[in-house]
Amino acid sequence: MEYTIQSQPSYSLLEATLGNGETIVAESGAMTWMSGNISMTTSTRGGVMSGLGRSVLGGESFFQNTFQAEGAGGMVGLAPGQPGDIVAHEMAVGSELFLEKSAYLASEESVNINTDFQGLRGLFNEGLFILRASGSGLLFFNSYGDVEEVDVNGSYRVDNGHAVAWEPSLEYEIIRGGRSIRSFLFSDQLILRFTGYGKLWVQSRNPRSLASWVFPFRPQASSSND
Amino acid sequence: MPKYTVSEEGSYRSVMVELDRGERFTSEAGAMFRASDNIEIDVTTRSRGTGGLLSGVRRMMSGESFFLSTYRTRGGGPGEVGLAPTLAGDVVVIECSGIGGWLCAGGSYLGSSDGLSIDTEFQGFRGMLSGESLFFLDIEGKGQLLVSAFGSVKEVEVDGALTVDTGHVVAFEDTLEYTVGKAGGSWVQSFLSSEGVVMHFSGQGKAYLQSHNPDQFGQTLGGLMPPRS
Repeated sequence: MEYTIQSQPSYSLLEATLGNGETIVAESGAMTWMSGNISMTTSTRGGVMSGLGRSVLGGESFFQNTFQAEGAGGMVGLAPGQPGDIVAHEMAVGSELFLEKSAYLASEESVNINTDFQGLRGLFNEGLFILRASGSGLLFFNSYGDVEEVDVNGSYRVDNGHAVAWEPSLEYEIIRGGRSIRSFLFSDQLILRFTGYGKLWVQSRNPRSLASWVFPFRPQASSSND
Repeated sequence: MPKYTVSEEGSYRSVMVELDRGERFTSEAGAMFRASDNIEIDVTTRSRGTGGLLSGVRRMMSGESFFLSTYRTRGGGPGEVGLAPTLAGDVVVIECSGIGGWLCAGGSYLGSSDGLSIDTEFQGFRGMLSGESLFFLDIEGKGQLLVSAFGSVKEVEVDGALTVDTGHVVAFEDTLEYTVGKAGGSWVQSFLSSEGVVMHFSGQGKAYLQSHNPDQFGQTLGGLMPPRS
């Protein structure tokens, strides 16, 4: 498989060129276009429980689509649901990577996507479960806005909702933004504090913040009591 | 002074602020998206020289959740704070000389260095005319002001007169005089043209404008959502 990532960093799209018989797996809904000799099969990959795990627990879709080229080979264009960047991550044999839900875009078939329980701290973050990629091969994940790679060297902080992916050598805990009474009263900022040594990817925008920003613009319901 | 690095590409800019030991920095409360572990965060409703609670309440009224976060390094080493606005667009570092002040639209304020004071410019009747979005922060002192633009930013040297739709004003030097008024010949005409309320600038000074109007975008999206009950 060959690939290019186009229109980086704000409206990135992954264009994969598949030789005869080659495949790429993608999050359902990611396919924007494909050539005529690409066939698509939909499956729960890894079984129903794995699919359930991804969808109910991990926030991704129950099904994943596998695209396979037949005959002359062909191309498939894959784009995430939100504007931003795409990272191509080569997974070494036996390595793992944690992904925030909705960060997964596509992967080679040799990469498995499962869920990982985050414990109670997940309640304060984006959910109780995140995605765990394992195996070897290429993994593509996406961000909302820019993505920045951070080499964590001991410890680092990321605002809740901005962590995209991290290596399993990193641990994290949820802490409050400030320690003062004022912070407690006036700020609901929660922060992921990563410790250890490894790579971490963060995104420069947060979909949740955008949603809260739009919320007050909803029209006022008309009321007969007016 | 802190070192600022604005991301160089794309539609979702952010800025990295590097602080030396003991240096402080202030931002809009939700703007931090990454930071080194030695950064101490505090939430404040006041800033240098501009009074306590009342000032904070006035900031709250200025449309933003106008609580500010202050950052300070602890443990004697340098630290870093990454700041980004909510919406897509550019980020600009404005060098404030300390000679004149700046007025910054409430929604465009991203952060400011320790030497700058922040106060809400009370708009009075002029402000009321144009709805809640027209509130400006009065920035005084010497240092760096970080602003965000929705879409792309345009730097303009005003010399004489310039008319700008209120939703497109990011920040301007207070050497500029301004009046709030209508774009067309009459209010009816202005209303029909959807170019309702504009600011007429006069004099000399620098202004930063944004290509897109956040309110318009908010109304487009908000109109597609179920109404508030």
